[in-house]
Amino acid sequence: MTKIPVILDGDPGHDDAIAWMLANSSSLLNIRACTSVCGNQTIEKTSYNAMRIMKLINLNVPFAIGRKKPLLGEPIIAPDVHGESGLDGPVLPEPAITPEPIDAVELMAKILQESDEPVTLVPTGPLTNIAALLILYPELKSKIAHISLMGGGIFFGNWTPAAEFNILVDPEAADTVFRSGLPITMAGLDVTEKALIFPEDFERIRALNNPVAKVVAEWLGFFYQFHRAKGYEGAPLHDAVAVTALIRPEILTTRNYYIQVETKGDFCRGMTIADHFGVLHQPENATVILGIDRLAFVDLIVEAAATYGEVAE
Amino acid sequence: MNQIPVIFDCDTGVDDAIAIMLINKLPDFNLLALTTVAGNVELEKTTKNTLRVLELIGAEIPVYRGANKPIFRDHVKAAYIHGENGLGGIELPQTKYEVPGITAWDYIYQEAVKWQGELEIIAVGPLTNLGLAFVKYKKLPELIKRIVIMGGSASIGNITPAAEFNIYVDPEAADIVFCSGVPVYMCGLDMTMKAYLTAEEISRVGALGSRPAKFFRDVAQGPLNFSLGVGLPGMSLHDPAAVLYANDPSIFEIHQVGIRVETKGPLTIGRTVTDLYSDAQWEKNAFIVTDIDRNAFFERVLGLMSEY
Repeated sequence: MTKIPVILDGDPGHDDAIAWMLANSSSLLNIRACTSVCGNQTIEKTSYNAMRIMKLINLNVPFAIGRKKPLLGEPIIAPDVHGESGLDGPVLPEPAITPEPIDAVELMAKILQESDEPVTLVPTGPLTNIAALLILYPELKSKIAHISLMGGGIFFGNWTPAAEFNILVDPEAADTVFRSGLPITMAGLDVTEKALIFPEDFERIRALNNPVAKVVAEWLGFFYQFHRAKGYEGAPLHDAVAVTALIRPEILTTRNYYIQVETKGDFCRGMTIADHFGVLHQPENATVILGIDRLAFVDLIVEAAATYGEVAE
Repeated sequence: MNQIPVIFDCDTGVDDAIAIMLINKLPDFNLLALTTVAGNVELEKTTKNTLRVLELIGAEIPVYRGANKPIFRDHVKAAYIHGENGLGGIELPQTKYEVPGITAWDYIYQEAVKWQGELEIIAVGPLTNLGLAFVKYKKLPELIKRIVIMGGSASIGNITPAAEFNIYVDPEAADIVFCSGVPVYMCGLDMTMKAYLTAEEISRVGALGSRPAKFFRDVAQGPLNFSLGVGLPGMSLHDPAAVLYANDPSIFEIHQVGIRVETKGPLTIGRTVTDLYSDAQWEKNAFIVTDIDRNAFFERVLGLMSEY
């Protein structure tokens, strides 16, 4: 079977961590590299978290650190969601790898250049690295098969009423990506706030009793507590949906849209706007995920965590 | 019965015309006057249409002329829905009524003072008249009980992907209204797109046989055909839905929210940004009407039209 070559680009983050755990467990994906970006926490913290996660899940691929800041403007971080470390909760192993001596964007470019086949990008943080790659290496566009991203929302935001966090942090980068003409699958809040995990779900994971599953269950517990306090019914596993789109698309419902990103304004900076009625007469540029079979999604996460029993020390 | 003193601010308009016919039959309202504004078509046409609809239904209600353009912007029309004359090309008989010289915003203030805080406004066009009234009269907010509007959307837009027409036409006026301190009840596309009548239902109204009922059927044909042409199940009665909400909220779903209007983002001008679904929460300055019992709505429309 031919595996899909992917690069995981994130700002871990609890849901990034679970997305990477999910990706690494799948026999359908061939992870070529991981990169970090500033988002949920500073670049120092997301990079450290990325390397700790890679150690935990035994993911031995090149890793490089991304940009310190969005393309324009200053970082926005989310310590109240993910904690001071950006990945609060269980104790994690120290990193076993050294970051590549090149920037995340250069590493992505190198992987693309050296790949025989187009590579899929899976950004689960702000789109800073991806946009920089498109701007700096336009000749490599043909080496990008697909971008499956977590970000945005066509009906509502979270960090502001109009904008979702990842897009809000770097709207210019998101605008660059959505204008790129590359195939985009968007896992936005429309679906990710339906991709909820409840205590009975993470108890299933805890019961698997392997080292990764135990950590995943604790991450989910931390994430659940935070979201309950915010008034959510469960913990939305935002970033894991972007990976699900690649490995189990049949549990998702989608619709194609022309999506634009607002980069200005008093209240709408970072909003992803869908042309629902086609009033702009523009070709569709993204497949927007709108629905998910939640129980099948939970099964997928449980199955993924179970695979680590086979490699546990 | 203690009637509620109401001013109806409109840009007549097909669905405004239908709303006028309905509000005229609501006994709970003491309809003081209709005020007109540039919106679906130019002010002279919205004023003329308002007068002629009143004449058609034999209602002796004063009409005051409002703003002929948005506060800061050039006027954008919606003739593609309402036709060049605003009533889908239907020519109603002329009226002899002369519109008084007093402006809509001065009239609103005058009545607000007179009714000592009991006045309600139902505004179904761009919010220019109310915006100007709040700019001119700093005491006005404490003198208006509530404002029910047709406009905006917490989900999808219609004139642009992000914005609904009435708010898009005069976003600054709309933001002035939302920030006025008067509770604003927003009947936006979230609800009004569900307040549609099918071709068959519109025919049933026409079959009532009165001149107003036949006018209802005839004037609805343009927007009905437009709506069916873009794949919608029927013609949305945006403005009538706001009127019926103002009269009886029992068939609607409503949430208290914070709403602001985007006036600067190039892609989002006129967006009514709403904190209903987001983690970020704002000061609650408004209510959003999100759902309607469509069957009950149609029965209500049919019942009111059968009174002609």
